[in-house]
Amino acid sequence: MRRQLSITTAPINETVLLGQRSLSSDMGAVVYFLGVVRGTEQNSIITGLHYEAFQSMAEHQFEQIFQEMEKRWPIESVRLIHRLGMLKVNEPSLWVEVVAPHRGEAFAACQFLIDEMKRVVPIWKKTLKPGEGRVPRVPEA
Amino acid sequence: MTIKVHFYSYFKDLTGCAEVWETIPGGFAIADLHQRLMARFPRLGPMQKSTLIAVGVEYQPRDYVIREGDEISLFPPVQGG
Repeated sequence: MRRQLSITTAPINETVLLGQRSLSSDMGAVVYFLGVVRGTEQNSIITGLHYEAFQSMAEHQFEQIFQEMEKRWPIESVRLIHRLGMLKVNEPSLWVEVVAPHRGEAFAACQFLIDEMKRVVPIWKKTLKPGEGRVPRVPEA
Repeated sequence: MTIKVHFYSYFKDLTGCAEVWETIPGGFAIADLHQRLMARFPRLGPMQKSTLIAVGVEYQPRDYVIREGDEISLFPPVQGG
């Protein structure tokens, strides 16, 4: 299974990523997902999110997830880009692509990857609300 | 032995630092270190049950016995995506 992982402050360029797609003639399904910053967080209006990672552990945990995906499904490739730093509302924070022979396994593997990411990969986000000069770090009680 | 402890996300604000050094006796488990850190940084206390702890780049259980050279990281629940 080919893997491409990037945890980066660089903006996600969907056009470039789609242009780099590569799949063999046996592949029948490409599932990709784009996560974007919502304008609300826990019913409050926000202006953006700031993402932070424990980078070396995040890369290691993603690799372990990829290995588990490879065991479960006949995936040809997986690509994942996760943004770090300050993102505005509607800006993409996550781009995932899974290429597999059939749609069932491609959808299942993509869902598994995102679910596992949200469970174990050490990335955090902080909200920025209108009028705030800086990002609050400690959640409100 | 002396070990390095890292804090991530808002744990850096709760402790006022990104990393500390702790001198611990042999046989000290992660649970023992966590108790010591909560005594040193009381604002970590309310997060006790949800705190995630890693050694290097792997999660480890509370009974993991810390070894010379281990780097320990404490952080809140992850929120990627």
